[in-house]
Amino acid sequence: MNPRTRHALEFVLDNLVWFMLVFVLVVFSISIPNYFQLGIFANIIEASSVLGVMSIGLALVIITGHMDLSVESVAALSAMAVGILFCSAGIGLGVQLHPEWLMVPVSLLIALAVGGIIGAINGYLVVKVKMSAFIITLASYIWVRGLVLVISGGRSAQDLAPAIRWFGIQRLLGLPLTAWIAISCFVVFSLIMAKTPFGRHLVMIGGSETATFRAGIRVNRNLVIAFVLAGAIAGLAGWLLAIRTSGATANLGVGLLFNAFAAVVIGGVSLKGGVGTLPGVYAGVLLLSAINTAINLMGLPANFTQVIHGLLVLAAVLLDAFKQTIRQRLA
Amino acid sequence: MKKILLAVFGILALAFATLTPAFAQSKGTVYYLVPTLLDEFQTGSVSALEMFLKQVGYEMKTLNADNKTDAQQSQMNDVIALKPSAIILAAVDFNALKPSIEAARAAGIPVVEFDRQITSTPSDFTSVAGTVEIGQIAADQAEKLLKAKHGSVKGKILQVLGDPGDPYTLDIQKGFEEKMKAFPDVKIISVPAMQWAADAAGTIVNDQMLANPDIDLIFSHAAHLSVAAVASLEAAGKKPGDVMLMSSNGAPVGLDLIRKGWLNVEVEQPLYAQAAAVAMFMDKVVNKQEIKPGEYDVLGLKSTVTIEAWGPNIKIPGAAITKENVDNPAFWGNLKPPSGTVKPVE
Repeated sequence: MNPRTRHALEFVLDNLVWFMLVFVLVVFSISIPNYFQLGIFANIIEASSVLGVMSIGLALVIITGHMDLSVESVAALSAMAVGILFCSAGIGLGVQLHPEWLMVPVSLLIALAVGGIIGAINGYLVVKVKMSAFIITLASYIWVRGLVLVISGGRSAQDLAPAIRWFGIQRLLGLPLTAWIAISCFVVFSLIMAKTPFGRHLVMIGGSETATFRAGIRVNRNLVIAFVLAGAIAGLAGWLLAIRTSGATANLGVGLLFNAFAAVVIGGVSLKGGVGTLPGVYAGVLLLSAINTAINLMGLPANFTQVIHGLLVLAAVLLDAFKQTIRQRLA
Repeated sequence: MKKILLAVFGILALAFATLTPAFAQSKGTVYYLVPTLLDEFQTGSVSALEMFLKQVGYEMKTLNADNKTDAQQSQMNDVIALKPSAIILAAVDFNALKPSIEAARAAGIPVVEFDRQITSTPSDFTSVAGTVEIGQIAADQAEKLLKAKHGSVKGKILQVLGDPGDPYTLDIQKGFEEKMKAFPDVKIISVPAMQWAADAAGTIVNDQMLANPDIDLIFSHAAHLSVAAVASLEAAGKKPGDVMLMSSNGAPVGLDLIRKGWLNVEVEQPLYAQAAAVAMFMDKVVNKQEIKPGEYDVLGLKSTVTIEAWGPNIKIPGAAITKENVDNPAFWGNLKPPSGTVKPVE
C-alpha cells in the first residue's frame, strides 16, 4: 500500500463518525419530506446543544478510564437552582438584579458552582477514598435527582428572566446563542485535550494510570480536576436546559445520560479509557440529534428512537473493533 | 448518675408523648401509592388527599413509585403486610397492578383507585376525572378553536403526547382522536415526548413548525410540555396567538400561560374534587358498606357514582379553563385549596 492510500485510509478511520453523519444526513434529506432545509439543520444543531455540552464532561472522565453517571442529575439540579432563583412563575422566586445583564453571569456561576461542587465530591470519593467511580457516581445520579425533587417539591419553575432567556431567542447566523455556546465549548475543550499538557495527561491516565504516575504526572490531581470539570460542564448543560425550556421541571433532562453515553461511544471514545477525541463526540451528538429529528418528522413511535440509538451504539462498537483490525493490518 | 439517667429518660418520654400525634382520635392509617412526584398534579394529589382524609379522621402515608411498575408492586406487597385501613392507588401501569389489588382485597384491605381507572379487576371505589373524557373535552375545544379560526372545522393539529409507555397519555389520545374522527379535514400529527421531558417537547415543536408551518393548534398532554412549546415558539419569533395552544391537567404553569395569552385552553383534571370524593366515601370503603349509585355534590361539582363491573366508580367532570374563567379558585392550578371541610357520605 502506498503512503498516500494509507494516509487516506487512516483519515477515514479517524473521522468515520463524521462520514456516518454525512451519510445519514444525505439519506434523510432524500427520503424524508421537509428534512432538507436550513431550518431543520439549525434545529439539529440547536437540539444537540444540551446533550453536546453534557457529553464533553462525560467524555473527559471516560477518557481517563473512569465513569460519571451523575451528569444528567447534576444538569437537572443546576437547571432547577437557576429556575428557582430567576424564574417569576411557578416556584420561581423571581430574583431581580440590576443591571439586568448581571443575572446572566450570576446564574451561570451558580449553575457551574452547583455542578463543580458535586463533581468535587465525586472526585474526592473516587480518588482519595479509592472508591469505584461507577458506584460513587451512580449514587450521585440518584441522590442529586432526589435533591431536585426535594428543593422543587415536584413543582416547576417557569418564565425565566428575559435577560437569561435572551440566549435562547437571540440568533447568530441562524443559530440561537445556546448552540454557539455548545460549539464554543467543543472548540475550547478540543483544543485543551489536543494542545495542552493537561489534556494529554488525561489521555495518558486513561491509557495506564500506573505508567502515568511513574512518569511523574500528578494523576490524582488531574483526576479530581476531570471530575470537577465534568460536574461544572454538566452544570453549564443545566443552565442551557433552563434557557431552552424557559424554566425547570423536576423531570428535566431525564434520559439524557444514556444519550450522552451513546454519543460518546459513537464518537469513538473507548470506555476502557485512553482513546477518543472531542470532535468525534460532537459528531456523535449531531448524529443522534439528526436521527431524533428524522423520527420527529416521520411521526414514528418514539420507541424507535431507543431501538435506533441502541443499534447505533452497537454499530459504533463493531466499527471500533473493525477499525482496530484494519489499523493492525496497516501497522 | 442513676438520677440523671432517670431524669433524661423522663424528659425523653415527655418529649415523645408531646410530639406523637393523638392516634386515638384517628380512624386509621390509609396508604397512598403515588406513581411519581415529578409531576405537579401528583404532588398536588398528595397534599389534597392528606388534607381531605384528615378532615374525615384518617391519617395518610404516601409511597412514591418513581414511575416504576415493579416498585409499585413491591410497595403494594409491603403495605399489605402493614394491614392499613385502606390503600389508595394511582397506578403506574393500569393493568400490571391487578394481582396486587387482588392480593390486598383478599387480605381484607380495601383498595381505592385514584385518578387512574383500573377496569380489569374489582376495586372498592374508583375516583376519576376520566382520562378518555379529558381527551374528548380537548376535542370539543379544538373543534371550537378551529371553527373560530377557519369558519369550519379544518386545519392541522400537532398533538404532543407524553411518554408512549404511559397509559394516561394513551387514554387522552384515544379520547381526543376518537372524537376528532368526525372532522376529516383536520389532520393530526402525534409525536410523543419521551419520559414526559419538557426539552423533548420543545424539540418536537421546533421540528414540526418547520416541517409543517401551517400547524393551527398544538395540543400537549401536560401543561409543563406547553411551557417548552411556548419557549420554542418564542425562540422562533412567534407571538401569543400566532399558534393556538391547548394542554391538559390544569397545572399552575398552564394557568399562567393562559393569563399571558399563549395558551387558549387548559383541560383541567379536577384534582381537589377527585381527592375530596375519596375522603367522602372513605368510611363506607373502610367499613365495607354499600355505596349507592346516583348523583353527589363534590365541592360543588355534580358527580355521578355508578356501579361498574370493577366496583363503585365516581366520575367527576373535568373542565375547560380559558381566559374567561382562569382565576376561578376552584381550579387546583390556582393553588387555593377549598376552605370548607368535606363530610363523610351517610
